[in-house]
Amino acid sequence: MSTIGLRGAAAVAGVSEQHYKRGEAPAGELRMTLEAVTRACADAGVSPRELDGFVSYAGGGHDGSVIGGALGVHDVRWSTMVWGGGGGGVAAAINNAATAIATGQADCVVVYRAMSQVDTGRLGYAKYFYGPHYLAHGVGSPAQVCALRTQRLLEHDGVPREGLRALVLAAYRHAQRNPTAQGYGKPLDVETYESSRLIVEPFHLFDCSRESDGAVALVLVSAERAKALRDDPAYVLAGAQGAPGGYSALVDNDEQYTSAGFAGADGRPGVADRLWAQAGIGPADVDVVQLYENFSGPAVAALIDHGLCPSGPAAGEVLTVDNLTAGVGKLPVNTSGGNIADSFVNGMNLAVEAVRQIRGTSTNQVDGARTSLFVGGPMAPLVSSTLFAHGDVL
Amino acid sequence: MTAEPWGPAPDGVDQPYWDGLTRGDLMLQRCDNCDTWIWGPQWICASCHTFDPGWQRVEPVGTVYTWSRSWYPFISELPVERPYVTVLVELSGAGGRRVLGILTGDDTDQVRIGDHVAGHFERDDGATWPMLRWRRVESEGAAA
Repeated sequence: MSTIGLRGAAAVAGVSEQHYKRGEAPAGELRMTLEAVTRACADAGVSPRELDGFVSYAGGGHDGSVIGGALGVHDVRWSTMVWGGGGGGVAAAINNAATAIATGQADCVVVYRAMSQVDTGRLGYAKYFYGPHYLAHGVGSPAQVCALRTQRLLEHDGVPREGLRALVLAAYRHAQRNPTAQGYGKPLDVETYESSRLIVEPFHLFDCSRESDGAVALVLVSAERAKALRDDPAYVLAGAQGAPGGYSALVDNDEQYTSAGFAGADGRPGVADRLWAQAGIGPADVDVVQLYENFSGPAVAALIDHGLCPSGPAAGEVLTVDNLTAGVGKLPVNTSGGNIADSFVNGMNLAVEAVRQIRGTSTNQVDGARTSLFVGGPMAPLVSSTLFAHGDVL
Repeated sequence: MTAEPWGPAPDGVDQPYWDGLTRGDLMLQRCDNCDTWIWGPQWICASCHTFDPGWQRVEPVGTVYTWSRSWYPFISELPVERPYVTVLVELSGAGGRRVLGILTGDDTDQVRIGDHVAGHFERDDGATWPMLRWRRVESEGAAA
């Protein structure tokens, strides 16, 4: 059997990202989506009319026929929603676009997500996110399920809580150099972090991501086309998704309880294993990471799953503020400020920063970054990752 | 209070669980064919794919697998003072299956993973359904 490889077949040629404080978007989700899509096309140097693929995730509104119709595209050849997982499916959406291009189903695919609280309310405090066997016991938010898992990660596995804090402080440190970050001009110190109010233990306020209004779009084309359009495309080197263990369908009876969902098990390669196998490189070769932090704990678990950080007490040696800071440490994470200190448009904003690192245009640029990992929502029912690379790596 | 966002699923998959609460029994699924314990409620055994797994009474004793204390008012209908501790309890007599529940008593600030706990049934004022709640106990099998 022959298979079509994903490695290097498609690349991100255009991006657009806008965000506002939650509830303060000047427009609804449809208009913001159209703005983001047309700006990403302009960034790529393609006409919106050339788009023939439309991909989103997390149940966002406005499918391919709606956006394609509004833009007067010639044909919608690919209109696909990642099924399940909420923000866990964000990287899967990018992988989905690359797959369509690699297999010839579409030539010019836009991946997008828009959020306006006026349209769709808040995500994290949405009641009834979980079923009756959670709600009856006071558990109704992803924050709480992630807290239960994080508590075991700390107390049983021995990952130091200071490691979670370091991830948050590094995000704020990056945000001080990113004028569009919502945390810009608001540096965070240890004392402020520690004295912030508890939301659900072990999470303080600052362990929780923001929720922003905004819209994000990425335009993907074939590697050949991308090279003709610009000299710094971000190639999709590898992508993987997975839903191991059943997660919430099993009411917290899944086996690898403190995994963020990317880890394999004996005889079963996980999302991260499949990602590295496709890419032909390993965690030690990653230059910079954009890591979806719904909450600090699941983000740390995702680093562990990807082999970027050991589990247990040794995690503390990797998870220091300096080591996670661009230009200082070996494992720069969330260089725009991430969901916690920059903005949160269901995590898709992080994919744009991952592309900026390949282009060399981040406000916290990692010198000579050639591989840029994007990790989607951790401890979600379905999770996904995408590894971007500079043309030099192909 | 009648607007609790919990209770039996409309398709009946977990009705014996809720009927058990009313009697004061913890009921969990156990496959009639292969004896696998199952939770949460399922139409089919994931181990042998037999439909309509049976139900069995389980002694509500076990150990704390993990816990969390909620400060934010996540669920307005919950008739419990904040902050409250939710425990995930690994049951001693159900093949390691785990069930959630709220921890009660005056020592919830002492809770740690591995603590022995015993369940009891409480019906809050005006509540439609009694709830399985947990208390820390000295040793495995001690009364709540």
